[in-house]
Amino acid sequence: MGVTDGPLRHVDDADVRAALEAETLGGPVRLPGGIALPVQIERVLGFGRSFSFWPLLFGLACCAIEMMALGGSRFDMARFGMEAMRASPRQADGMIVAGWCTVKMAPRVVRLYEQIPDPKWVLAMGSCAISGNIWDTYHVVQGIDSLIPVDVYVPGCPPRPEALWQGLEMIRDRVKQSRHAYDGLRRIPARDLVAAEGEGQS
Amino acid sequence: MSAARFVQPPRPAGSSTKRDRTAVRAATSLAPTLATAAAKLRRRFGARLLEEEESFGELTFVIAPGDWMRVLAFCKSAPDLGFDQLDCLMGDHLPERADTPFAVLAHLTSHTHAHRLRVKTFLPEGGSLPTVTGLWPSAGFDERETWEMFGVVFQGHPDLRRLLTAEDFEGFPLRKDFPLEGIVGGRVRTELRGKI
Amino acid sequence: MSDVIDSGTAQARDVDATPSDAPPRPTLEQLKERKARTRQRLETGGDIMTISMGPQHPSTHGVFQMVLDLDGEVIVDLRPEIGNLHRGVEKLCEHRTYHQIIPLTDRLDYNSAFAMNHGFCEAAEKLMGVEVPARARYIRTIAHELSRLANHILWLGVHIMDLGTQTFFVICFRDREYLLDLFEMLTGARLTHSFARIGGVAKDLPDGFEQRCRKVIEFLPKRIAEYERIVKHNRIYYKRAKDVGIFTSEDCYAWRVTGPTLRAAGVARDLRKDEPYAAYDEIDFEVAVEYNADVYDRFLVRMTEMRESCKIIRQCLDGLPDGPYVARDAAHSLPMKRDVLRDSAAMIQDFYQVFRGPQAPKGEVYRAVEVPKGEMGVYIRSEGGAKPARVRFTTPSFYHGQAMPALAVGEMVSDLVAIFASVDVVLGDSDK
Repeated sequence: MGVTDGPLRHVDDADVRAALEAETLGGPVRLPGGIALPVQIERVLGFGRSFSFWPLLFGLACCAIEMMALGGSRFDMARFGMEAMRASPRQADGMIVAGWCTVKMAPRVVRLYEQIPDPKWVLAMGSCAISGNIWDTYHVVQGIDSLIPVDVYVPGCPPRPEALWQGLEMIRDRVKQSRHAYDGLRRIPARDLVAAEGEGQS
Repeated sequence: MSAARFVQPPRPAGSSTKRDRTAVRAATSLAPTLATAAAKLRRRFGARLLEEEESFGELTFVIAPGDWMRVLAFCKSAPDLGFDQLDCLMGDHLPERADTPFAVLAHLTSHTHAHRLRVKTFLPEGGSLPTVTGLWPSAGFDERETWEMFGVVFQGHPDLRRLLTAEDFEGFPLRKDFPLEGIVGGRVRTELRGKI
Repeated sequence: MSDVIDSGTAQARDVDATPSDAPPRPTLEQLKERKARTRQRLETGGDIMTISMGPQHPSTHGVFQMVLDLDGEVIVDLRPEIGNLHRGVEKLCEHRTYHQIIPLTDRLDYNSAFAMNHGFCEAAEKLMGVEVPARARYIRTIAHELSRLANHILWLGVHIMDLGTQTFFVICFRDREYLLDLFEMLTGARLTHSFARIGGVAKDLPDGFEQRCRKVIEFLPKRIAEYERIVKHNRIYYKRAKDVGIFTSEDCYAWRVTGPTLRAAGVARDLRKDEPYAAYDEIDFEVAVEYNADVYDRFLVRMTEMRESCKIIRQCLDGLPDGPYVARDAAHSLPMKRDVLRDSAAMIQDFYQVFRGPQAPKGEVYRAVEVPKGEMGVYIRSEGGAKPARVRFTTPSFYHGQAMPALAVGEMVSDLVAIFASVDVVLGDSDK
């Protein structure tokens, strides 16, 4: 099943939990060489980013239809600058996991996640992505958060477009504050330093 | 809305549906074309048709695995039968049959005569059947699925790989002894992490 | 108005001509010859390049994967890979009572969830010998056709979006929302409604549903005409769809391709007519048939089907009989909810059905219904009791995806998205 040699290897639960608990408020922008920007600049960048959040055009199952409905004319995601769904992960800011993730699909989901450039946000849409829902079977991943870090969970089977919309608003709040769940799985050289600074300031 | 219609309390299994079943059988007797087709099959194969069952308006022939190809080819080519579409080919597991626990069923449909037929065969553990992809190409996925779900091998299949499950999946999920959650308990939640 | 939008060539206009001056119907031989002409492209014998399209690709309608062998732009070979959404529905069914299986069928083909519910319930009713009351049959027919409309509108929007227009997708979703509103009113859910029950439906038509439904099916044919004005005479669509992806009736039989694709090949096969269920034998409607067996004709078939669906719903609303909406069968079906609150026997029946489940006889049945994508068959083997021993869903997308090599080999890779969309594959349906 091994598809990528990605940095997800050899991360144990304790690391993830600790990192998620001490979620880095005002985390750093990583530049080549591990240079980190001050938190204030990061906030300004986050404010800008939040108005053009481009999710990955990636639908798995039923929830993808409601995701399309959100892009359709009644709910009209375009009002909020989020209608530009990118089909390539390289152009996306985050992904909406819309549907159940199977064991066969899991490596592909993780690879797509890893191909999204940092910083990135993940929204788990629907009960299947959150917990596996009714599919407690041999071939379904019981919750996408066991594979990739999730920022926002939107429950429902499938959630209404309004619910997804609220979830995207919550993502936007996190983008504004530059909070993201993914830090826990990535070793960022300057992270500890800046995190300590951020704590000192707040 | 009166209680009168609930005069019959819920009945236990087995005894419950005699009346209903006879009603259904009377309502859905075999189509005349299918009766002709069945007669022709009987004439052609005689005792090779091990069992014949007619229920719910559907006709089932049980044959030996060795006759699988011959009977199905006849079903397709004979003009009175004319089964030009294989509706589905599927496996089944009946653990109570100790010697031949696996069944393979073919549901055939004729567009010319508008009738349906079910052909069934029983196989032992590790049994195999000839492929019918030469007759109906649509059997390709069906046979792959039957192989991965039950372990029934189809000889001569052009591409007998796993179809639905992951490439490294172990076991045959639709066998009755396969647990619903999979063989490796909790694997998906805990052990997959870090491996992909 | 049509003059503004209509940019079609004279050739394109011919297609919409009246039957009297319509081009003669092609025979099977002529269709085969046309198909053979596309296959001639394969004889160039260049170098082969293998690429993978999907599972993450905007026009694979989910996570369908096609491994393509290309000679330049011509598809030499195509290997479909499915299973990325496999979740073991059939295994799960063996652990559920018949009532509990109904929500699982929703998620097979989530674009037309009611049709899937309906197919399973028809099979279970055949097994148990439950007779569905007339009102339930009419309500089922209405819901089935609403799901067909919703499915075809979604199909149309996505199909045209695959060919390059974003706007048309928005237009289609505008009208689909009205159908989803109806579903929400009827069932409480927009997409996965689990509305059918063994022996009937979950609840009666709510107040005001009829007026609202009538309103929708009054204006929907006008909207369908609008779609046709935009798409049917569009020169770009005509050129991209005409004579592309020819699939003759013989191919359809061999690959078990059913539904609109088969009807576009000139075969008037429709299980609603051929093996009627619900109220279809009491309703007057036409089976949509076209004869050129290409992508364009599949579009035309679906447009006609949508009009016929509106007609069917109107007739059902007109002739809606009174009576119970679920069978009075204490052994197999749930009681009407309003009775449960008043009637102790009904309450006992409710408890019995929920905790023990319906007691099915021994036996095996196969029942096929015409869902929007094609023929969906359900095989149930029962050993008695509340749980089936084996359930098999013979879903149309499973076979439509499998037929992709036969459809697309010899075509250009740029036509592949049009061909793939035209057979209407949904991966939840095909992967089971």
